[in-house]
Amino acid sequence: MDELTRQRTRAKWDAAAKNFDVMSSRGPEKRWAPYKREFFSAMRGRILFLAVGTGLDIQFFPPNCQIVGIDISPKMLEQARARADAYPGKLELREMDVHALEFPAASFDQVFTSCTFCSVPDPVGGLESLRRVLVPGGELHMFEHTGSRYFPFNLMLNIMTPLARRFGPDMNRPTVANVERAGFRIRDVRHVYLDVVKAIVAEAPASTAG
Amino acid sequence: MERRPYFVFGDVLTSVGSGGLAGLVCAAVIGTGWNMWLGMLVGMALGMALAMVLSFACLLVLFGAMEVMLPSMLSGMLAGMVVGMAAPMGELPAAKGALMGALIGVGVMLFNYAMDAYLSRRASPWTS
Repeated sequence: MDELTRQRTRAKWDAAAKNFDVMSSRGPEKRWAPYKREFFSAMRGRILFLAVGTGLDIQFFPPNCQIVGIDISPKMLEQARARADAYPGKLELREMDVHALEFPAASFDQVFTSCTFCSVPDPVGGLESLRRVLVPGGELHMFEHTGSRYFPFNLMLNIMTPLARRFGPDMNRPTVANVERAGFRIRDVRHVYLDVVKAIVAEAPASTAG
Repeated sequence: MERRPYFVFGDVLTSVGSGGLAGLVCAAVIGTGWNMWLGMLVGMALGMALAMVLSFACLLVLFGAMEVMLPSMLSGMLAGMVVGMAAPMGELPAAKGALMGALIGVGVMLFNYAMDAYLSRRASPWTS
């Protein structure tokens, strides 16, 4: 990803940070709470949590995990700090871009994402970065909203995307297909709402070369 | 499929509110002198725009993200289209337009719940 796109992405999410909790903490997070609690209960070993945002998801992490949370936006991380400090386990926050992860290869047993790959500018490139830092056979767990296969939902999502992307995420990303394109093996896909909000579990190949 | 009363109430409010608002405004704006197809197109665009504004102004914050946006936009679009077509064909009071829109919203909500129940049983990697 080029520097201009990186700066624009950072600026967009820095701008969104101020009202992020107001928009997300009540409706969406409460609605998804039971699903997210179950989703994050799979956390084991050394974990990378991508796009920690303001830390709204930290409440769902099981205790005593060893987690590194990253985000491209320093303003988001500022707001996440208090929630990270209150987490009963080891949770380190770092400002980082998924396209340029500063971790050595095979640093993590699991990667978790939550409503992230709707916004990553180069989703396949970002997923390939995640594959690099996962141990061979490591797990990718994603809670994402994606495009839909079904009319009229796909039409609505396609109409909404040009406007939504100005302030936040794309609405019509083929995330499951992107995960496969990045070299992961899909293990499970569970629909949370229609085929739009879903939990994806994928596995890095035995060899992370390439 | 959603069963928690607070969110079921939110889903009803979202679909009925978006459809009702779209119907109300389209009935007030589109008159008997309009071409029916133009009325439908204007109603569709207006209904979607109103639903989007309503969603972002209050519904999203209270009741969810995609679970609000999709039914809201769909209700607004369909209500706008139907009322936009009906208004040029004869006198349509705004209250009747709102009622038509609200009923369409109920239909959208039921369709949405049926699709959600169907798709929650299907979890396949081929989908998006």
